[in-house]
Amino acid sequence: MPVYVDVDRCIGCRSCEVACQRVHGGIGHIHVHFVGDFASVPIFCHHCEEASCTIACFSGALYKDGERTAFDVKKCTGCGLCSLACPYGVVWTDKIAHKCDLCEGRAEPACVATCPANALTTDYELASRRERARAARAAAKGGRR
Amino acid sequence: MIKVDDSLCIGCKSCSNVCPSQNIVRTETEKMRSIHWKRCKEECDLCVEFCPARALTLVPFDETVQEPDLSFDLVACKICGSRYASEPMLRRIEAALAADSERDSEGLEWIRVCPTCRRSREAEMASRETVLERCRRGQ
Repeated sequence: MPVYVDVDRCIGCRSCEVACQRVHGGIGHIHVHFVGDFASVPIFCHHCEEASCTIACFSGALYKDGERTAFDVKKCTGCGLCSLACPYGVVWTDKIAHKCDLCEGRAEPACVATCPANALTTDYELASRRERARAARAAAKGGRR
Repeated sequence: MIKVDDSLCIGCKSCSNVCPSQNIVRTETEKMRSIHWKRCKEECDLCVEFCPARALTLVPFDETVQEPDLSFDLVACKICGSRYASEPMLRRIEAALAADSERDSEGLEWIRVCPTCRRSREAEMASRETVLERCRRGQ
């Protein structure tokens, strides 16, 4: 997943949703979900290695481009198969499909650049360091990991 | 004119989306999706070309033939009950994906769950550790 989420850091401000909509003509590809009063989680495309949306897409509009699950709007017919094939529910279709394109052409995805809580990152090393630190803290306290 | 093989049509939105002359009319209600193919004289085969199920063919114009009409009951989401997809579309996805990927880590048949509930479940799973920790701290 080329954008990593640190759920502990997310403050549920939904700035990422706004940023995504701003750069995608009003249609956003990231949704912040609230789990009771306890946590908020931005949900968006994982860019799966074996992406079921690309398997379901019959016209070749969705395809793997390296790590990215890319989308060619010219080939899309809006049939709706991809949105039903996505296990995370993060491909939308109206007349055409909409999904995270990792802000192709920008230095950094708009959601990552905007997040005021630094909950989103494209840096695998950072995400991995945070995860290890969390595991270490949990182990030190004797809690379950 | 368009001929529809109703044993092949999966009730998707492709042909009604690509038709440039609005000759294919899709009607969606809460429980049903209906597709109506009007008698058409265009020399255009976009719908045929872009049918994922290869259910459409072009045949010579004939006024006596009835206009094809198909209706699909929409399947209810296993979690929230909202109707979200036609049965043949879900079957097609189940056939396309590997059998071992059709259940999630908790054994749920996720293809039978609507996209909105899939997102909510993903949020719950991704935040499980955080929620546990915050509950513990709050005690």
